[in-house]
Amino acid sequence: NASHQLSSVLLQILLYINGIYYIFYFLATLTMIVYKSEVFSYPDNFLAPDLALLLIMAVLEVLRLYLGSKGNLTEEEAPLGLSLALTVGSVTLSVYFLVWQTYVLRADVVMNAVLLFTYGLESLLKVLAIAAFVS
Amino acid sequence: PPEIRAAARERTRSGPAPVTDVAKLCVCDLLVAQCDVNCCCDPDCSAADFSLFTTCSVPIVTGDSRLCSQKAAIYSLDVEANPPERIFKLIDQVNPSIFCIHATNYKNALYFSSPEMPTSENFDQLLKEFGSATFSTEPDTWNMNIDAQNPPDANETYRYEYGVPIQTVDAFLRLPSPIVSSWCSDANPAAFLVNQATKCTRPVSMEKCGSIQALSMLFYINSSILAVNITVQSVVVQSLNGMRTSLNSSDVLRLPTILDELCINVVLGVSYHVTYTDVGEIIEAAASFVLGAINKEALSMQQSFEISFTQVNTKPVPLSGNPGYVVGLPVRAGFWPQGYPFPNTNKYGQLTILQSTPNQDCLAAQGARTPILFGYNMVSGCKLRITAAMKCQPLAQTLLDLLKGQSFPEYVASFGNSQAHDVLDWVPITHLHASEEGIYNTFQSSCQIPVSLEIAVKWTKYGSLVNPQAKIVNVTATITSTTLKQLPSGRERTIPITSSVVFTDISSPAEPGYKAWPTINAKLPFDFFFPFV
Repeated sequence: NASHQLSSVLLQILLYINGIYYIFYFLATLTMIVYKSEVFSYPDNFLAPDLALLLIMAVLEVLRLYLGSKGNLTEEEAPLGLSLALTVGSVTLSVYFLVWQTYVLRADVVMNAVLLFTYGLESLLKVLAIAAFVS
Repeated sequence: PPEIRAAARERTRSGPAPVTDVAKLCVCDLLVAQCDVNCCCDPDCSAADFSLFTTCSVPIVTGDSRLCSQKAAIYSLDVEANPPERIFKLIDQVNPSIFCIHATNYKNALYFSSPEMPTSENFDQLLKEFGSATFSTEPDTWNMNIDAQNPPDANETYRYEYGVPIQTVDAFLRLPSPIVSSWCSDANPAAFLVNQATKCTRPVSMEKCGSIQALSMLFYINSSILAVNITVQSVVVQSLNGMRTSLNSSDVLRLPTILDELCINVVLGVSYHVTYTDVGEIIEAAASFVLGAINKEALSMQQSFEISFTQVNTKPVPLSGNPGYVVGLPVRAGFWPQGYPFPNTNKYGQLTILQSTPNQDCLAAQGARTPILFGYNMVSGCKLRITAAMKCQPLAQTLLDLLKGQSFPEYVASFGNSQAHDVLDWVPITHLHASEEGIYNTFQSSCQIPVSLEIAVKWTKYGSLVNPQAKIVNVTATITSTTLKQLPSGRERTIPITSSVVFTDISSPAEPGYKAWPTINAKLPFDFFFPFV
C-alpha cells in the first residue's frame, strides 16, 4: 500500500530546509561573533560562553535533524519524540542568542526569529506525525 | 554614631553618577550659572540670550550611534523669526544598518565603568593590583631600623648598585648637607658611585665645644661600612687666618679641646674616598679631615663634605667630555717624552693661565695659576714694577715663567676623552713670537721682555648635526715681547703683563644637501631589434 504512507512530506521538506538554513545560521553567527569581538569590547569571559553555546547548538541541531528525519521516514515515534525533546533545547539556545547574548545585533534578531518560527512549525508537524504513527 | 558613619561611607564609596539623558547633556556649557555663547543647549541661557546667537555650536546630542534606536536632542536656531529663537527637538534616531546593536547584556559595552572607590577594606587588594614601585606602602631600601629586621652580617659583602645608600653597621653613611636651609642635616645618606660635594652651616658655641658630636672626628669615622673600617687618610690643620698645614701623623685621633680661648680640632671638612671593585663591593674607605679652630664669638661655622669613588686598580683620570669637550671642563694637555716610537707613558700636565691676584704685583704673585676651562675665554694679568737695578735676562726669564707657568704642556687633547696612546688625538701647541714694535725693529741687542701671552684655541664641531661634539684642532700660544729701555737710576716704571685664552669656533656652517635629481633609467633589452641585430 504505497499510498498509505504516514510519513509527513511537509515535515521532511521542512527538515531539509531547516538543515540548509542552519548551516547558514551557524556560519553567520560565528562570523558576527568574530566581527563583534573586533569592533566592540568583548572580554574573554563573555566571549567564551557565547562560542561554547553556539557549538553545543550546532551539535544539538545535527542530532535533532537526523533523529527527526529518521523517525519520519521509518514512521517510528521514538526518534521523532526524542527529536521533539531536543527541539526544546534548541529553542532555549535560540532564545539565548536572541535575548541573552552579549551583543544582540539586528541581524541576530532577524535570524533567530526565523529559526524560532521554523522550530515552531516543525514541532507542530512532528506532533501531528507522532499522532498519525501512534494511531 | 555608627549609622551615620556607615551612611557616610556608602556615600563616599561611589563617584558621581554618570549623566545619560541626552536632553540634559550639554558639552558646551562650561561657565557655571552663566550663558555660554552659541551654546544652544545651555540651561542658563534665556530667550534674550538666544536672540543674540549666530549658530549652534552643538547641533545634536546623541548616544552611541551604533545602537539601533536611540534618543537624540537636536538644537537649532530659527533665524527667520524675529528675534531668532532656539528650537529644541527630542527625536528617536534609527540606525538603518543591519549590524546595529539591538541590545547588550554587557554593562561596560557602551559606558565607562565606574572605578572602585578605595575604602579601608579593599585598599590592600587595590594597591596590590594597581600599585607599582612608585606607589608602594613600604619602600624596600629605606628601612632605617635595620636591627629590628635582620641585622647585617658584619662579614658578608654587600653588592651595591648606582645610587643605593651605603650601609653601615647601624644606619647609613652620612654626608651632612643643607636641606631646605643652609643648616647641616645629618640625615643625608651617601649614595654609591654618586660623587657629591656639599657645604653646610653648623651652629657652634665655645662652651659646647667638646659636646657637639658633629664637630669631632669620631663622629665621621665611628661607623664602619659593613666589615670595612673607615681609616683616616690625612689630617690638615687650618689656622684662624686660613693657612693649612698637613700633619705627618694621621693615626692619632684629635678631639675638640679648649686651648687658649679657642676650641681646636674642630672638623671643618671631611673628604671620603671609597674604593670599590668591579662587582660593586666596597673594599676600602678612607677619610681626610680638615681641622680648624673656632673662637668664642663664633656662632656658626661652615663645614664642607665630599665623597668620591674609585675603582680598585685603576687610576682615574677625569674626562673633559665624551667624546667632545664639555664647556666648563678643563682642557686636557700633556707632554710627550722624546723618542720614537711614542712611548705609552705621559704626564698629565694642565693647561693653566696666570691668575690675577688682589695685589696685582707680578713678582709677588707666588705662581697662582688657574686651569683653562674649555669654552671660557679668560683674561688675566698683573702689573710689573721695573726698577733701574733689574737686569734684562733674569727679568725676561722670570716673566716667561710667570706667563707660561712651571710646566707648560706641549700637546693638547683634541677630544675630551683622548687617550694617551692615541697619537693622532693630540694637537701640538704652536708657539709664536711677536714683537710689540713691529718687525722694523731688527736690532735684537736691546732687551726684549715678554709682556703678553695669548693662547688661541680653535675648535670645530665634529660628528652628527644633531649632536655635534667639540674638537680642538689648533692651539697657538703667542708671546708678545717689548723692548725694555734702560731706565735712569732711581726711576721706576710699571708695565702691565697680560695673558689671555680665546676659544674660536671654526666649524664650517652646515650646507644643505639635496637629493640628486632622479634619472630615468630607460634601457632597451639587448635583443630589442632582434631580426636586424
